[in-house]
Amino acid sequence: MNRISRKIWDGFTSLSLTIACFALLMVLVVACTLAQVRLGTLGAVNLYMRSWFYWMDLGAFSIPIFPAGATVGLVLMLNLVAAQLKRLELSWRKAGIWIVHAGLILLFVGEFVTGAFQVDGRLTIEEGQTVNFVEIPRHVELAVVDVTDPAADDVYGIPETSLARGGTIQVPGTPIGVRVKQYQRNAFLGTAGPANPPAGVDQGAGVGVSIQPLPPVTVDDRIDTSAAVVEVVAGGRSLGTWLASNAIEAPQSFSHGGRTYELSLRQQRVYLPYSLTLEQFRHDVYMGTDIPKNFSSLVRLVNPGKGEDRNVLIYMNQPLRYDGKAFYQASFGKNDTLSVLQVVSNPGWLLPYVSTVLVTIGLLVHFAISFRRGLRRAGAAGAPRAPQEA
Amino acid sequence: MQSLMKAYVIAALSVAAAGCDRDEVSHFRVAKTTPAPAPAPAMPPAMAGMPAGMPADVAPPPRPASGGLRWTLPKGWTESAGGAMRFATLKPPVPGKIDGSVVVLPGPAGGELANVNRWRGQIGLPALDEAGLASARKVIQTKAGPLKVYDFSNGGKSGSRLVAGLTESGGSTWFVKLTGDAGAVGAVREDFMKLLGSLRFE
Repeated sequence: MNRISRKIWDGFTSLSLTIACFALLMVLVVACTLAQVRLGTLGAVNLYMRSWFYWMDLGAFSIPIFPAGATVGLVLMLNLVAAQLKRLELSWRKAGIWIVHAGLILLFVGEFVTGAFQVDGRLTIEEGQTVNFVEIPRHVELAVVDVTDPAADDVYGIPETSLARGGTIQVPGTPIGVRVKQYQRNAFLGTAGPANPPAGVDQGAGVGVSIQPLPPVTVDDRIDTSAAVVEVVAGGRSLGTWLASNAIEAPQSFSHGGRTYELSLRQQRVYLPYSLTLEQFRHDVYMGTDIPKNFSSLVRLVNPGKGEDRNVLIYMNQPLRYDGKAFYQASFGKNDTLSVLQVVSNPGWLLPYVSTVLVTIGLLVHFAISFRRGLRRAGAAGAPRAPQEA
Repeated sequence: MQSLMKAYVIAALSVAAAGCDRDEVSHFRVAKTTPAPAPAPAMPPAMAGMPAGMPADVAPPPRPASGGLRWTLPKGWTESAGGAMRFATLKPPVPGKIDGSVVVLPGPAGGELANVNRWRGQIGLPALDEAGLASARKVIQTKAGPLKVYDFSNGGKSGSRLVAGLTESGGSTWFVKLTGDAGAVGAVREDFMKLLGSLRFE
């Protein structure tokens, strides 16, 4: 290893780098907490923690001005690994420290896995109703649904990323193509007038509607009013141009080749191979007050593929964990007849727990080893000396 | 040791890249089931009580070129410019959860049956068919033309109630709606019916 490489390696494995990373994380935590006021929790976490850099907008372009959580976390993780390899000896005496470091590294890995793979969804269900899909509130999709079959629908979902990219998107397995003429993640839909020209729609509910772009919504309790102007093409000819928006809740339909399709822009849906039926929702309050005591949903879980049909009670802090998803009691409505479950899918959900256990075990092991060594030293110091030979 | 570092970096970048690959057209074959519930409380409040075609609560819309709907406010009521396609917001002088709105949408806005059933869904009532719609409908004559009025309650004074009128004019559909706690809506229903009777275009 030459001199420059050694300097870099020394810097990379130094405790100063660890402390600098912790200092940067503290700055990021404060900035992220303050930013939640204007951006909401998700917006602030995405901007400060789950990005590689914090970017300054200079109009035409942006420049990175501060390392964000992903960069600091990665550097800290590599620093921990490198320092462990450099300094720690591979011996039983240091077993506790090895376990603690492994736990910390696992914690960072868990956060990266969560950032990359966690999907937060929502399942809204009324008493007596059966639902077999989860909605992703922060993403929309253009749904093209072939409703011709009286028994089942073929649901095709064109994701928001494809809409934003534009161009023509072929719906696989159908003769239908969707040409995206305009997509706005958030917009104001108003009646067209002299100052607000119509969006060029000639079919459906959007005729005569103008679209005015708006900045994306960042607060937690609101969602974007997304809008897409799409021309449906099939067999080399246009079937018309529609406005699709999650503000237009009634699906719009068209026919081609003897089949009927419905078109709608809605929150992205993930269909499940099983269904949940809300048997009963309970909203208990403390006697004589309106103070909530308990929210719970008694749901019937039916999975034909596994031959399962059972009732599950979901209540505060007691989610249903099933099929890699956790269903938490989140909200309710309609005079306590509607329940909203937050559905979290995170393949790395166990990692923080494993990490915490490892760190705890590591500290206990290290304490035990140090304690034993201390006892031995004390024993050695207090032992009677052998008689000196004359 | 350097190869170990590279492996960590590659693993981290792979994890980051894997999260980005979510832009394929999805396909599900789904057995037909009951329709999805109306927007939940987690949705924007402005969406929960609006008819089909209503976006979230943003800047007020331009008035239709043909002129706007007007009304005579009952004593104690106030009004303000609305948001999105909400033409105006009406506030009656009564405590409790209650919301008055005037909404204009281009065209038939999804149709009368779809909108009425959406309103019924918002207060937990089952959908009507065409016959049920006709029996629930009451038509009153106003200077803005015939107004179709509906009054639905999901039971008792502690439940929810909705009184709404809709009329079509100049290629647009106007919705004037009062919804909220049954007790509050019931207390000002008579005033609201007078307001509906005073509708006119100016």
